[in-house]
Amino acid sequence: MSRFQGPSSLKRKQQESSSPLDSLSEQERTVYNVIKSKQDMGIWSRDLKRETNLLDNIVNKCMKILLAKKLIKEVVTKNKGKKHFMAAEFEPSKEITGGNWYVDGSLDTEFINLLKDQCFKWIYKMRVATSEGLSDAIRRSGIFKVEFTSQQIEEIVRALVLDNKIEEVNSNGMGEFDYIPVGKVCYKCISSEGKGEPKLGAMASIPCGVCTRISECAPDGVISPKTCIYYEKWLDF
Amino acid sequence: MGTLFSFRITSKNFSNWGYSFKLQQATGAGGNEVKVTQYLAVFSNILHRLRFPKFLAIVSQELDKDCEEIFEGLIQHGRLTLDQICDRAGSDKSGGGDSTVRAAVRENFNKLLNARFIERCPAPEPFLEPPTETKSSNKRGAKSAKLDGAPETEEQRIIAAAAPIEVLRFSNLATSGTDFDADEDVSGSSVGEKRKHGSLELNEEHGSKDKEVILWRVNFEEFIRCLRHKACIENVRARLDDGAAIVLKAMLDATRSIEKKVRTENSVPLSMNTIFEEVMKSEIGRSFTLDRVRASLVQLGCSPSDETYSIDLKKIIELAQNEEVESIVLKRYGRDAYRMFRLLSKSGHLLETDKIADMTFVEKKETPKILNKLWQDEYLHMEKLVVTATRQVSFLLWKVNKPILWDHVLDEMYHAALNLNQRLIYEQEQKENWAGIPQLEYYRCHEWVLFVFWFEMAQYLVQVPKKKICSVFVIRKLQRAAMKGKET
Repeated sequence: MSRFQGPSSLKRKQQESSSPLDSLSEQERTVYNVIKSKQDMGIWSRDLKRETNLLDNIVNKCMKILLAKKLIKEVVTKNKGKKHFMAAEFEPSKEITGGNWYVDGSLDTEFINLLKDQCFKWIYKMRVATSEGLSDAIRRSGIFKVEFTSQQIEEIVRALVLDNKIEEVNSNGMGEFDYIPVGKVCYKCISSEGKGEPKLGAMASIPCGVCTRISECAPDGVISPKTCIYYEKWLDF
Repeated sequence: MGTLFSFRITSKNFSNWGYSFKLQQATGAGGNEVKVTQYLAVFSNILHRLRFPKFLAIVSQELDKDCEEIFEGLIQHGRLTLDQICDRAGSDKSGGGDSTVRAAVRENFNKLLNARFIERCPAPEPFLEPPTETKSSNKRGAKSAKLDGAPETEEQRIIAAAAPIEVLRFSNLATSGTDFDADEDVSGSSVGEKRKHGSLELNEEHGSKDKEVILWRVNFEEFIRCLRHKACIENVRARLDDGAAIVLKAMLDATRSIEKKVRTENSVPLSMNTIFEEVMKSEIGRSFTLDRVRASLVQLGCSPSDETYSIDLKKIIELAQNEEVESIVLKRYGRDAYRMFRLLSKSGHLLETDKIADMTFVEKKETPKILNKLWQDEYLHMEKLVVTATRQVSFLLWKVNKPILWDHVLDEMYHAALNLNQRLIYEQEQKENWAGIPQLEYYRCHEWVLFVFWFEMAQYLVQVPKKKICSVFVIRKLQRAAMKGKET
């Protein structure tokens, strides 16, 4: 028995030292292959369990071994809270990390707001700007150490449009548009003062316009205009 | 709305708040056809009562004080003959001969009529064919209803049947010499049914004997049109500039009487020369060059190569509506929600939660919470999509359903208007001995109520500054402060 076992165990040891893959059990190999097949997209732990058709505890055990052998790694995605795994040799794609806007799976709002402010200032300065012109201006300003792709600038500009700070217009080739080809999409600031604050509507300027409990409000009800604290504050000049 | 105002329907003002009409019905036994008189309340006209202070202000602004007095009489009484109008004026004025007063009243009356602020009353008891026959016979009505995208209601049919023909509506011919027989009055001309009982009753009611009876009333439509124009002009001024507002005002003023319907989608087309002439009529417009006018027209969405220019009023109103509702979202739910709402409102179709988060730069975890809140408060429409490919995955899709949301917002605005009124009454009750309250508050408050009406009729709100709305409260506050000072 020992004769037969001797050389085979030796052989295995030799192989282990050459590649950790060879030492994997069949189940570990299955798990690893599924993870690796996902390349830089990686896989969510629950999806992995479903795709391998293995019992949860077996998959967990395999994962521990694969992590210990550094064949796979856990990656942070923009969907925080979901355990995501990837083969060690890949770098997570922008699709799952959220790209430059995310740091350790969290939205980098500070950075985004800073870039938005800069874009807004440049559009205000330029009066009318195309996304290419804006990209150039941001790059030349040297405020940011990182380079932005035109797609990133477009994403920021789109958010500024949604903020109602700037508006999208098509160039008519006249006046302020004279250096921009006709029909080209450009951006302009909404207010001439450059504040970028949307106009307050009539309804929104009275307490009921702001109140989220208006549906529960009734004359002489628990919430009523006579006892409304928002009215009290509003009338407290 | 019931507590916002109260009114009493009398036989005198019924024609303004309601309609009576004859309906052809077949009886069971003999198969004879009988005509039954039925009554219908016209709620839109009842709601106009809230806007009377505004209507009066418009008359005073556009015409003069004497016209306003005549107009006030019509508001109070619902409908009057020219004789009755003259009598009212005669009793008010002590000095001057009767004929002088009558001539002056007639002149002012004509001013009101030319401005279309007043019109002939509709026919009493118009005859209405049974609805089944209407489908085949009333092709014109059916077609126009179809074009408007809504089925014609009974109310619309009755109002259409009672309406005098356009030529007669603002004609004062009979009162200035040409005799109209009473039976050839508005009722006969519009529906071919001669008025017998109605005319007799009216004659008795108004004290006239066998003479013609032409009754006059306020033309609400003209005020709505006027306010709608104002709303569009002010929106353009805020969004574009003064130049565009002046050009639009000139165009709308020139074509006000030609506009076919109140909620017209496009302004009446005008040539460049006409527009330029109209712009020149205003003081500020006189400094405009042809190029400036042309540039303003381009700003307003016209193509420079057009021969005639027409402004898309529907678009202006849509933009204004969007702004108003977005403003509510911003104040109630914050900037992230505002961005999401604008994204969905602009896209006009369903978008998935993650996609919304990516496009608006909101944390993935926060996005469903915000969307859910907007959905619970009926600001968003949500659909659940379940995909069963390799495994079952569900997605939540969101969109802004404007027609439903606009109704919801309007309801909230009426509610807000009611609340504002109630609070004002409460404030008054708290300080009964305060002398400054009377008409001022009433008027201010109603001015605010008007903005609800603008949203409804013109589908737009004219901004009423908070300062103006609560100027009464400011006075109240000062009073309080003064009293405190005395106490100490």
